[in-house]
Amino acid sequence: MLKSDWVPMRWPAAWTDASRLQLVRRTPINCLVGETAPPFPLGELRFLRLDPASPPEGVVLVEGVWPNVKTARRDPNAAETGPTGAPWVDSNGWRIRLAQALNPGKTVWLTYDPPKGSEVVPPAAFAIAVAEAEAYGAHWVITLDERFRQGLENSSEEAVAAWNKIAAVLKLSAAHPEWRTFEPVAPLAVVSRFAGDSEFLSREFLNLADRRGLAYEIVPLARAGQAPLSKFQAVLYLESGPPEGALRDKLLDFARQGGLLIAPAPLGPGKPAETRFGHDLYPAGKGRIAVPREAWSDPYVLAGDVHLLIGHRRDPLRIWNGGMMNALYLASSDGQRGVVHLVNYSFRSTLDSVTLGFPRPYQAATVYTAEAAMPVEPHKRRLGVEFPLPPFSTYAAVELRG
Amino acid sequence: MKLTATTSTSLSRREWLAAAAGLSCARSVRAAPEARVALARCPSYGPHLAPLLAKMFDQIGGIGPLVAGKTVAIKVNMTGAATIRQGHEPAETTYWTHPDVIAAAVHLIGRAGARRIRILESFAEGTRPLEEEMLIAGWEPADLLGAAPCVEMENTGFLGYGKKYHRLMVPGRGYVYPGFDLNHSYEECDVFVSIAKLKEHVTAGITGALKNLFGIAPPTIYGVAAGPDEPALVPHGGRMMFHTGYRQPSRSAPQEIDPASPREEGYRVPRIIADLAAARPIHLAIIDGVETITTGEGPWIAQGRARKIHCVRPRVMIVGADPVATDAVAAAVMGFDPMAERGTAPFETCDSTLALAEGHGLGTRDLGRIEVVGTPIRDLVFPFRAYS
Repeated sequence: MLKSDWVPMRWPAAWTDASRLQLVRRTPINCLVGETAPPFPLGELRFLRLDPASPPEGVVLVEGVWPNVKTARRDPNAAETGPTGAPWVDSNGWRIRLAQALNPGKTVWLTYDPPKGSEVVPPAAFAIAVAEAEAYGAHWVITLDERFRQGLENSSEEAVAAWNKIAAVLKLSAAHPEWRTFEPVAPLAVVSRFAGDSEFLSREFLNLADRRGLAYEIVPLARAGQAPLSKFQAVLYLESGPPEGALRDKLLDFARQGGLLIAPAPLGPGKPAETRFGHDLYPAGKGRIAVPREAWSDPYVLAGDVHLLIGHRRDPLRIWNGGMMNALYLASSDGQRGVVHLVNYSFRSTLDSVTLGFPRPYQAATVYTAEAAMPVEPHKRRLGVEFPLPPFSTYAAVELRG
Repeated sequence: MKLTATTSTSLSRREWLAAAAGLSCARSVRAAPEARVALARCPSYGPHLAPLLAKMFDQIGGIGPLVAGKTVAIKVNMTGAATIRQGHEPAETTYWTHPDVIAAAVHLIGRAGARRIRILESFAEGTRPLEEEMLIAGWEPADLLGAAPCVEMENTGFLGYGKKYHRLMVPGRGYVYPGFDLNHSYEECDVFVSIAKLKEHVTAGITGALKNLFGIAPPTIYGVAAGPDEPALVPHGGRMMFHTGYRQPSRSAPQEIDPASPREEGYRVPRIIADLAAARPIHLAIIDGVETITTGEGPWIAQGRARKIHCVRPRVMIVGADPVATDAVAAAVMGFDPMAERGTAPFETCDSTLALAEGHGLGTRDLGRIEVVGTPIRDLVFPFRAYS
């Protein structure tokens, strides 16, 4: 077995009885991690001592955050609103994608623990953590808290249902390895070191772009010189100074061929033709170069401005009634197949009326959830096709064809 | 009756209403119609809307003299956010004015000789161009921009394309505000059109041509994040101060006449609507009642309501030059008595916007003074409250 196929779980130290293995034998989990190996034979299961300083070969460890919708302090049933006006969500999708981009060929494992302290986390919330990681092509090192662990020991209905959902999500992910070969469908390439003086702005840009539905592909600066850019409508060069040398020439050529280059400073002499969304627009051949009137500082403002500079007409995916979720749209290299991963960050609510819209005229779709798979028919609309989705609670993968 | 932009001055209406109020048996004696409202059955959206609306415009006297050579501003209803739907149904068939209705109106106004047409709406968050908001909703803005020559769009929730806010005062004395600071497009126009949706409203009873004007107030001055002294640069949050009166607008704008007045939204919202409609008079009201929802103004009101939201098809279009009369006919079509006062449906928990607008001299809500042309109301009544 390739190490990238390992599906990890942190084995509770309190589980010293081999009968507990029955729990994982019904799932794709095949790798137990912990401080010490369980005191019984593991059979086909592997055991790893997880050392952040020395991760397993082929694996990148990312700390991450507990994924959830922030609730308002006064009302635990109400979502706290973030600067986007939509509910504030703590998510890891962008972290996973960044780690994948910076470490090509490696599998990302998220290693965060469930919340500690006074917060009571229902078992259902653990399925979100698993689903998010799987949707983005990674794994969360499944880590039970005391409540969930004891619930499983006592076979509580709530805990068993949550565990079964986790198993179902893992099985769904394992059953579709081809989805992990698909590429993001995005009009925007974000070029940056994602480190140094651009670290905060660049990383938070990715986070907020996810929340506002701005589709992007990450291009690490070190590989930007070799990266094909012609498939993008826009390139955001997210550094504090303008590109230099060969990369400058390449990005300039991208603009001259009709692309939109968004850079922190002008790439040469000239006067802007117009100002839009906080940026001066310089003509460059068939395209344009957008330069901020004031240095970028607020990632929320930047994400909004970039989205408008590109224009919503370029959105490859439109989503209605999806405020509590993030989406990742991937497609095969020939564009004939696609998948949209949808992660609902609220364990309190079922998303019962999400609609997806595509400019691409997909002919058919199948919605996979932890519970079922069902076909959905396209509805022709003014700007393409729409698929009304059946209700789902934690995760749905919408496979597209045609 | 020819429509012109100068016939609906508030003074003449106020004088007329004052005289009418002096008649002790005003409602029992059938006076000459003060307003004419066209009412038509409209089975669906589509290309047939343009000829239907053309006929309705003719029925109220024609729009040529009103719009020829003029700049026409059209306030549409795109309340809420473009990413929110009632179930899977698009916003335009539930709680927004449908783009086919807007396109038909724009086309006819352009054909009647308008020099320039501006489609206007504001949003509580951000400064996105109106075209972008339409794209998010799944609309093609080019359909509207191309419906007539010289069509523009503007998000009026902030300064927009203007250099300063323009002050429009309520003639006489306002109920809550003496006037409002608005986006330039509401003053830099000769003719003002309100294209609304036939809906109920949880705070104001009904949504119509008048309530549609709630959205002309920029959230940079009247929203949650309005600047304390000067307008904010970017809208961030809705017009809660209109509802609860918890704060005053930016000090640069006219402040409330009486800050000690009731802070109850059923008192405030109808009065502010009437004030807005008096400050920015409507010359032409168009109400899209082809497809809509019951119970309230948008999907977000569902939580905690005893009544569910139903997607319904009243299949009506309503057009008038008197916005109060047009809304009164709309109320009657919805199964309500437009003369109803507070405590009676649809104004169970609020004062009647229709009565308050009438008090401002903006028109009449008395069906006895309204000539309904086209299809009689009784043939098109669609009782919204039959849906629980």
